[in-house]
Amino acid sequence: MTEDMEALYPFLYSQSTDLDAVMSSVRQSTVEKVDEIVTLRRTVLEHDGDRIAACAAAMAESFAAGARLFAFGNGGSSTDAQDVATLFMNPGHLNVGMNSGMNGGMNGDTARPLPAFALTADIAVVTALANDIGFEVVFARQLAASAFAGDIALGLSTSGNSRNLVAAFEEAGRRGMLTVGLAGYDGGQMAELGTIDHLFVVPSASVHRIQEAQTTVYHALWELTQHALAKAGDNDDSA
Amino acid sequence: MDQAVLARVPEVFARRVGPALGLADEADVVARACHAMATRFHGGGRLIVFGNGEAATDAQHISVEFVHPVIVGKRALPSFSLTSDVATITGVAATAGLDEVFAHQLHRLAAPQDIALGISSDGRCVNVLRGLEAAHRLGLLTLALTGGDDGGPIGRSPAVDHVLIARSADPRVVKEVHVTTYHVLWELVHVFFEQPGVLDPRVVS
Repeated sequence: MTEDMEALYPFLYSQSTDLDAVMSSVRQSTVEKVDEIVTLRRTVLEHDGDRIAACAAAMAESFAAGARLFAFGNGGSSTDAQDVATLFMNPGHLNVGMNSGMNGGMNGDTARPLPAFALTADIAVVTALANDIGFEVVFARQLAASAFAGDIALGLSTSGNSRNLVAAFEEAGRRGMLTVGLAGYDGGQMAELGTIDHLFVVPSASVHRIQEAQTTVYHALWELTQHALAKAGDNDDSA
Repeated sequence: MDQAVLARVPEVFARRVGPALGLADEADVVARACHAMATRFHGGGRLIVFGNGEAATDAQHISVEFVHPVIVGKRALPSFSLTSDVATITGVAATAGLDEVFAHQLHRLAAPQDIALGISSDGRCVNVLRGLEAAHRLGLLTLALTGGDDGGPIGRSPAVDHVLIARSADPRVVKEVHVTTYHVLWELVHVFFEQPGVLDPRVVS
């Protein structure tokens, strides 16, 4: 009977075993990736938890003094830079952590919108600089034009070797900005610079896991910055 | 340093663990979604991605992931986001309204063999839901990345073929689960491409 069916509908049988095997390996792959990122985030917490808090405290001080944040990166990291900018600009509600329920995250205090720019958002400026001078200056030139001493420069790279990020951090340093870097692998040239005030290197060889852990790092920086600002505001009120 | 800020760090990280592990429980949904996506790409389909706010940046991240793979040797697959064209978005929003922006673009840009992927951290974005409904009517494969308890109205919509829910009330945590999810989606779509025999649309698991 099965043989008759197979003769009539070979496609129903010819690949089914292969497909089951691929589906099984694909399911296992998802489980492994989840284990990798959970472990990597634990490593980041152990290595850099204290430094993340210190960076957030410094960012909160800068914002309280009138700073604006400039975020930049290439490719997938450019989308993270835009995510950082919109998170600070239009954050919605601040989750209150352990007390949070499953009611849509609406139980937190309203977070404070803070001024932030993504240096990849203005395609006219990016293409003008890239076309007229070169891609290595697209972020540095925007900082030179728009940033003041005391503003915040936040750059993301998985390799740490993007030339336009290195140039941007050099420019940010010259201008007296607070500099925050997120890198991966061994930190690359961003680590070699030795001048980034707060550099977080995610120790992984996977671009994907690095980006996932970097997302957690900047979310943590944002949340802790909000708490530090709220606390400073409470102290001001009581003074 | 402010000790109160320092004291919060472990909880901030701990809040991520459960929802991240939850993705492993969705491994079968992920596998089926990847097989369906790979089958569409194999048939000439393109991946069209959309979302609001932070999810708009994820839409652009996903399209660059497929068009320009970070792993050398993986083939480029056609994809674009609906969030990059600020002129069209603000133009449609100013006339028909923000709820219509993605549906409007899909009606002009999508083909029946394409894939629509909508992202909404609470599953309540009206324009994402309308985009997925328009895509479904046009014959596209539809997927949603959502969050919260049950994925919200988008997660419950019959117009969505594959729903992946990040179970957290914190939109930042939902986003992080989504980033891992779409990295895995990209990688596993390519696993199916390495087994072209399984991409015949008549082959079902």
